[in-house]
Amino acid sequence: MSARWLFVVGTFLSWAGWIALGRGAYVALRLWIAQETGTEARKKRTIVSSAAVAAVCLLLAEFIPMSSGRPQGGGWGVPLVWFLMPFTMVGALGCAAFAVVRLVQAVTAITAEERKAKIGSLVVWVVVGGLFVWWFVHSKGEVQVFRGVVSVTPVKLLVTVLFAFVAVAVMVWSERLARARGLVKKAVIHVVLIAGCIVFGVPFAWLLVTSFKEENDISTAQGMVWVPRVQLTVPFYDKKEPLYTATFRGRGVRGKVAKVLSGDQVLFEVERPFNIRGREFETDRNSLTEIPRQGRVVSFEQNGKKVQGYVIEDVDNGDVIVKVQSPPALKGQEIKKSLLDTEPVRKIGLRTANYSEMLEWLPYDTFYGFAYLKNTLVLVVMSVLGSVLSALVVGYGFSRLRFPGREKLFAVMLSTLMLPAAVTMLPTFLIFKYLGWIDTLYPLWVPTFFASAFNVFLLRQFFKTIPMELEDASKIDGCSYVRTLYQVMVPQIQPVLACIAIWTFMAQWNNFMGPLIYISTPEKMPIAYALQMFQGERGGEFALMMSFATLATIPTVLLFFFAQRYFIEGVQLTGLGGR
Amino acid sequence: MPNPALIIQAPRAICTPGVHIFVVSVTGRDRLRESKIEFEFDFGSLIAMTKTLRTVLVALAALCVCAVASGEGQTTDLVVWGMQLGPNDQGMDAVIRRFEESHPGVTVHMLGMGAGRMNPQKLMTAIVGGVPPDIVLQDRFSVPDWAHLGAFEPLDDLISRDEGKDANTPTAEQYYPAPWSECHYEGHQYGIPWMADTRILYWNRAVFRQKANDLRKAGLDPDRAPRTWSELLAYSKVLTEFNPDGTLKRAGFMPNFGNSWLYLYAFQNEASFMSPDGKTCTLNTPASREALQFMYDGYQICGGYANAEKFRASLRGNESDPFFTGQVAMKIDGDWIMPGFILYAPKLDFGVAPPPIPDDRYYKRGRFKDVKDRYITWTGGFCWAIPKGARHRDLAWEFIKHVTSTKMRMLEMSTFAGIERERGRPYVPRPTAQIETNKEEIAAFMPKTGNMRAASQLHIAMMPVARFRPSTFAGQRLWDEHVRATDMALLNVMSINDALQSGQDRVQDYLDEVNNRDSLPVADLTIPSVVGGAGFLLGVVLLIGWYKRQRLGKLARHEAKWGLIFVAPWVFGFVVLTLGPMLASLYLSFTQYNIFDAPHWTGMTNYTTMFGKDRELITKSFMNVLYLGGVGVPLGLVTGLATAMLLNAGVRGLRYYRTLFYLPNVVPGIASIILWLWILNADPSRGMMNWVWQHTLTQWFGTLPPAWIASEAWAKPALITMGLWGAAGGMILWLAGLKGIPNQLYEAASIDGASAIQQFWSITVPQLSPLIFFQTIIGGIGVLQTFDNVYVALNGQGTGPNDSLLVPVYYLFQHAFYYFKLGYASAIAWMIFLIALVVTGLQFLVAKKWVHYEVDS
Repeated sequence: MSARWLFVVGTFLSWAGWIALGRGAYVALRLWIAQETGTEARKKRTIVSSAAVAAVCLLLAEFIPMSSGRPQGGGWGVPLVWFLMPFTMVGALGCAAFAVVRLVQAVTAITAEERKAKIGSLVVWVVVGGLFVWWFVHSKGEVQVFRGVVSVTPVKLLVTVLFAFVAVAVMVWSERLARARGLVKKAVIHVVLIAGCIVFGVPFAWLLVTSFKEENDISTAQGMVWVPRVQLTVPFYDKKEPLYTATFRGRGVRGKVAKVLSGDQVLFEVERPFNIRGREFETDRNSLTEIPRQGRVVSFEQNGKKVQGYVIEDVDNGDVIVKVQSPPALKGQEIKKSLLDTEPVRKIGLRTANYSEMLEWLPYDTFYGFAYLKNTLVLVVMSVLGSVLSALVVGYGFSRLRFPGREKLFAVMLSTLMLPAAVTMLPTFLIFKYLGWIDTLYPLWVPTFFASAFNVFLLRQFFKTIPMELEDASKIDGCSYVRTLYQVMVPQIQPVLACIAIWTFMAQWNNFMGPLIYISTPEKMPIAYALQMFQGERGGEFALMMSFATLATIPTVLLFFFAQRYFIEGVQLTGLGGR
Repeated sequence: MPNPALIIQAPRAICTPGVHIFVVSVTGRDRLRESKIEFEFDFGSLIAMTKTLRTVLVALAALCVCAVASGEGQTTDLVVWGMQLGPNDQGMDAVIRRFEESHPGVTVHMLGMGAGRMNPQKLMTAIVGGVPPDIVLQDRFSVPDWAHLGAFEPLDDLISRDEGKDANTPTAEQYYPAPWSECHYEGHQYGIPWMADTRILYWNRAVFRQKANDLRKAGLDPDRAPRTWSELLAYSKVLTEFNPDGTLKRAGFMPNFGNSWLYLYAFQNEASFMSPDGKTCTLNTPASREALQFMYDGYQICGGYANAEKFRASLRGNESDPFFTGQVAMKIDGDWIMPGFILYAPKLDFGVAPPPIPDDRYYKRGRFKDVKDRYITWTGGFCWAIPKGARHRDLAWEFIKHVTSTKMRMLEMSTFAGIERERGRPYVPRPTAQIETNKEEIAAFMPKTGNMRAASQLHIAMMPVARFRPSTFAGQRLWDEHVRATDMALLNVMSINDALQSGQDRVQDYLDEVNNRDSLPVADLTIPSVVGGAGFLLGVVLLIGWYKRQRLGKLARHEAKWGLIFVAPWVFGFVVLTLGPMLASLYLSFTQYNIFDAPHWTGMTNYTTMFGKDRELITKSFMNVLYLGGVGVPLGLVTGLATAMLLNAGVRGLRYYRTLFYLPNVVPGIASIILWLWILNADPSRGMMNWVWQHTLTQWFGTLPPAWIASEAWAKPALITMGLWGAAGGMILWLAGLKGIPNQLYEAASIDGASAIQQFWSITVPQLSPLIFFQTIIGGIGVLQTFDNVYVALNGQGTGPNDSLLVPVYYLFQHAFYYFKLGYASAIAWMIFLIALVVTGLQFLVAKKWVHYEVDS
């Protein structure tokens, strides 16, 4: 047997041994603390058998020569194995497991009929497993076995054992006190659930934290930065290159005077916003207002003393000129230092400037991204209106009014549920092209006015639960169908309408492929597509990207918190949960 | 010019230092006839919440007004795509300002739009939709693609009109032959070259010196660069260093690092990818096989292509550029990297040389005996073109003449050079497509000494001996297939011959298809529309007849009338947006249709291609989806069900858990993908997942973190991981299902002594089986339509390493909007539809076996 498989066997044996030992200890603990009566004999048997199994396994494992093939670290190595295999092999193994179960069931079956059924099932599993194996071989898959070692130092081990002992003891003890069975189980469930929340919540936290990080915290060798810090700044009036606000095409900009032309005319160079940075234009000197620049606070060593000050100028050769703030003896002096010798002074805080910088990078004509918001709102409002109205009308027609051929038509409608949107994508594009709707939002929301099959289906299910008598009464009162619909039915089905509205909202907020195909001008893009465009253009700047993603997320999360009930009901009604 | 008759400046708050200003101004133009609202909004920093709130309110108000009042200014907007003015484009900005000055009333809008680059989809939809930009800055090699479709305007008439009259008129004599002919197609000039780039070899002298002894030992001179391919490999072998775990510490030379592709090596080996008449693709010739073999050998020295790509994925840019840090000793790259040298590594000791060439070429042996130019390079670059249907054609031409004139190019450079000089950095001239401009810029800006002088001089000197990609309408296709073939061969998936041959076959098919198109009958739409229309009318008449024959009472008739009125919106939508398009799609799938011309009838060709020549990729795409669905859907179900079962155990705080677990579902799709791409970043010092991996699995097992999206094996697991984030939200549904299971069942089972596991398999699963069934179907159809995450992950380019992310809808999208093969795309669409039908049908069939329904319901 190769060293690799020996290692695998040894690992399994030792883990089996440890688990048996743990189980024995746990039962012993319960016997000792909980003092449950009536089952001592069984418990004692369990303890003895566990100890025996543990002893055998651990002894065997001890005698198997195991080498992980890698230099071992300090401490005592706990062996681990990890199988890396293509999913075809996973499938094959799963089928094998099921086949074995069925085989056992077939052998132990009581009636002939049962045995026949089990054998039939066995054959199916074997065939499916065979297919997986064929695919595995065909795709030239291979099973990789990784041999690993976790080094455990005596301190670590002691702490772990103590912790486990205390935890179990506390749980068992409280069980004895409360005399309520299942408390341990509940505690374990809570632990698992909280762990799940952490796993699912960490990406969220990472999104938020990254969006407030400075560039130096984005990539670090020390570890993940969870507490962002920001550069301290000091406002100062720059004498050498004063910063002004000016008006460019009706919008406020910040920048400096690049050149004095004649008289009061100057050539003004834009520094912010970024999307027109470097742009120069002529303007009247008197229209400028000076504002302070933000000097970065840095510290450095000067003659063995720590000096702190703020940068008033970045020289291009990599030096900075620092105006000293402390110690008081040097205050006000200007010292030239190499940038590398200075240490930025930072404090814990959020770098909100990521958000403003991100908005400034968006194309000039989008008004700092507000055009995106406007487009998305138009899209969402019109679609929600369209979906709700059309589903209401059509759903009412299909569920409450009788007309010849209704059921056949409804069956046709249901069958469209299975239709992948890709089939109609190109001809629909041609239709909207013919209508001259390319580069407008119409192709995205107009179709919602023609009722989606899913919403109608949903409404019909709901209509079924409303008694017919209501309508009959209104009919007798002489109501028209339209009036019955909006005066009698609408109040009854409001919750479903809310679900449809929310579902449509989410769908359109997320709509990516539609805008990708139809929209080409930045001012006409909705947020989801703009986000992707931004990623394409400034993909390297993760903090900015995360701030855009956060902004795109806030509205939906807010909606979720305010209308949670409808989200949850929506999932239960539609059966569309998770992704 | 706008006449500001009325200016309302609503809250104009100039805040204290640090916080910024916002201005809402209503500017009336032309006596209230048109009004334009503009607002200024600058966050500065969010110091005071009140201020922010006020700002937001005002902005929202402005937004509302914006939405209501919109009007066109009296100015002419000249829209240019393909270039976004960035912080270092003051030169271009000056040129544009000059243009705006000399053309009063014209405003130039420069937009990036991904046009001109590798993503033709935006430009195509804009041209087809009748809303094209006035000018595009287009990658030259793809100009024939567009010209052939009739999507670009030929410029010959404009050139001959102005030649001699306007000194700025571009003519062939002013340009190097390569860039000029690259945008020449079938006797017409479609673009005016602007920038041009050349590729040369950069080598890090410091690394050479450090390894001088080893180099000498190998018989190599450490003071000069390699001149031939075999020398290059020999140098690389000495300079490459490995870490103990086999990963690269330093790469001597990675053939496709920097910018060379197979094209450069093939040009050097006198291979050409197209026959002179443009009818035959010659991707697979002995010469190009040799070139690819050279690349292969180059990567073998680095421990194989996969190893090198892993190394590349861990590299970073700017100051820590691997060439600056010595992690890469030699690379072939274009002139666009020179500013980076000045900015980030001004003191770097490096040398330049012409790209090494095949040994036979260097020694003028064999078939290279009579070759004129010893060293050659490859030039690419951009040109200005006018799309068909541009609203301001003459103005666009004026703009092109303006920006390409030597005077303006010099203005552009001197403006930027001035800024660079102010920053204390030298400005280094880069090659342009125009001979005169190159001369003038050398005279004006060439540094007197130094490495940058050598680099700049060499880049410009290589211009006359530069080759260019063949001018063919299949340029984009050829490019994509050459990339795919290179990847396949380097990854050892196929032999070099097979990889190139399969690429060649695909390009050839495309060429034949287009070349033969004129012999195909134009798909006449009259017959199908007459037949369809007649059928439709007949159907309507029959329906009305059938309806009339129904014996209905007066009341029932009234009800039926209203019922029909109520369902009419859906019927209309169904006919126009579902049934019609489906039939149209079916019809188109039997044609060749590039959207610019009328469709041509090809019969079953699209389908035979799909099952014949293109079978590999089609199969691959469906297999990828099968992987995503086969692993992703069950994992998603299990995650949701497990969460629901935990919550169903009667724990407190159900509501809070439910909210938290559902939350990932409300994150917009694109935002969540982008977040996960960040989490799955290959670099462990940035990507959270790989950081965790490095601190656990790497320490235990010694396995290195994967490159996720950038690696063949891990790209799909990455997508599945992204999807699983939202999977726990499915528990809401499962929870409802679990609550619906009668408790007596469990009680009875416990009394009979069934264990928890037995109860799960014999009660919970059968009771939930309708739900499981429904979820599998929904999940299956959803996975079959995977598109968004693939598109975002790949940024719309390529199909992932070894096509590992090629999925059917994405493949359809590529064919429709990148290659303009709407007929074939429609055939793929129908294939997707049929597969969806079959899969769903199968599920329904199998469902009878295992889905358990209560008897009465």
